[in-house]
Amino acid sequence: MTDARKTPEDQMLEHFREHSTAEPPSHLDAFILAAAQREVPAPKLNLWQRWVQACQKPRWQVAFASLVGVALMLALVQRTPEQVPSYDFAPKASAPIAKKEAAQAQPSVARSLAAPAPAPAPAPAPAAPMADFAAPAQSESISVEMADEAKVSKRVAAPVKTLDEQLLEVVRLQNAGQAREADDLMATLHKRFPKENLAARLKELKKN
Amino acid sequence: MSALEPSDESLLARYRKGDGPAFEILYARHRQGLYRFLLGLSGKSELAEEVYQDTWLSLIRSTSQPQGRANFRTWLYQIARNRLIDHWRKHGIHNPLHDSYDEQTHALVDDAADPEQLLSLSRDNQRLESALQTLPTDQREVFLLRAHGDLDLPQIATLTETPLETVKSRLRYAQQKLRRLLAEEVLT
Repeated sequence: MTDARKTPEDQMLEHFREHSTAEPPSHLDAFILAAAQREVPAPKLNLWQRWVQACQKPRWQVAFASLVGVALMLALVQRTPEQVPSYDFAPKASAPIAKKEAAQAQPSVARSLAAPAPAPAPAPAPAAPMADFAAPAQSESISVEMADEAKVSKRVAAPVKTLDEQLLEVVRLQNAGQAREADDLMATLHKRFPKENLAARLKELKKN
Repeated sequence: MSALEPSDESLLARYRKGDGPAFEILYARHRQGLYRFLLGLSGKSELAEEVYQDTWLSLIRSTSQPQGRANFRTWLYQIARNRLIDHWRKHGIHNPLHDSYDEQTHALVDDAADPEQLLSLSRDNQRLESALQTLPTDQREVFLLRAHGDLDLPQIATLTETPLETVKSRLRYAQQKLRRLLAEEVLT
């Protein structure tokens, strides 16, 4: 803005701005600036900077936290891997269920492939009396859940049968009059063991 | 202030985050205007210095920032004005800023609008000060906020909680009276 455009009011303001000489005393300036420097807020540090600062000025909390950290690391390093549960335990663990399973309908072919041949229906499993003794007061719902878990664990833990065992199962099915199941099992064995002469081995087993 | 220079608000924010030198820049910008405003309004250098110091110390110790549409400048002058009013109240001095003042009764015909006459305004600091002190306090306040605070009229209206039209008329009457007083001083 040039002077030519200035109104008389603006000129009055300019006049006062130019010719006023009052200044705050220097001692007041120094006092205020010193106060500002003295009371400058501490800069806010991020988490990492605060941690570094805490480590530089050790306190009992830091020492304690460090000790806990070292102890945790040692515990992790020295921890031995868990033992893989032996297959021998699987049937025992599922013993309470064996009785119920035995009482159920005739075993399927798939189950016979994965698990040992179940005991004949009327004969109770050896562990059944113990199972009854072990958990007599458990509710039915819990038993059902445990049964499901036991089935799963049984399938996982049961060893795979050998060929001869499977063929013996075929013989047993044939003797029991379950020809269709026996044929299904034979077909499955043919798929699994295509190079074996299954018929010859079956005959041999029958002779023995 | 050029576009490259940091704003007052950003300097204050930096100071609040621990940047000490930011305060020095802020202080350098406003020290003179604020002091002249307080000296002109109070009329006493001791009182002006006391309120000036209190204002800056309260700003240093406060954690607050200018709120809403207020910028740092209006906020600073608001603090200073409140401190001065507090001082008057504490010492049982009637607050002249609360006077209801009829500008019309104090308005005189402005016969000094001639630019030639404006050039002959007194430049003597004593005369400027005494002319300023003859103004009614509310007119003087508006004139000082405009001249030394560099606030625009809406900002002054907000700060003093006065209607904008009233602020305009106060400033106009103040300038007319000052022109007349200073011109007369030279002519006599």
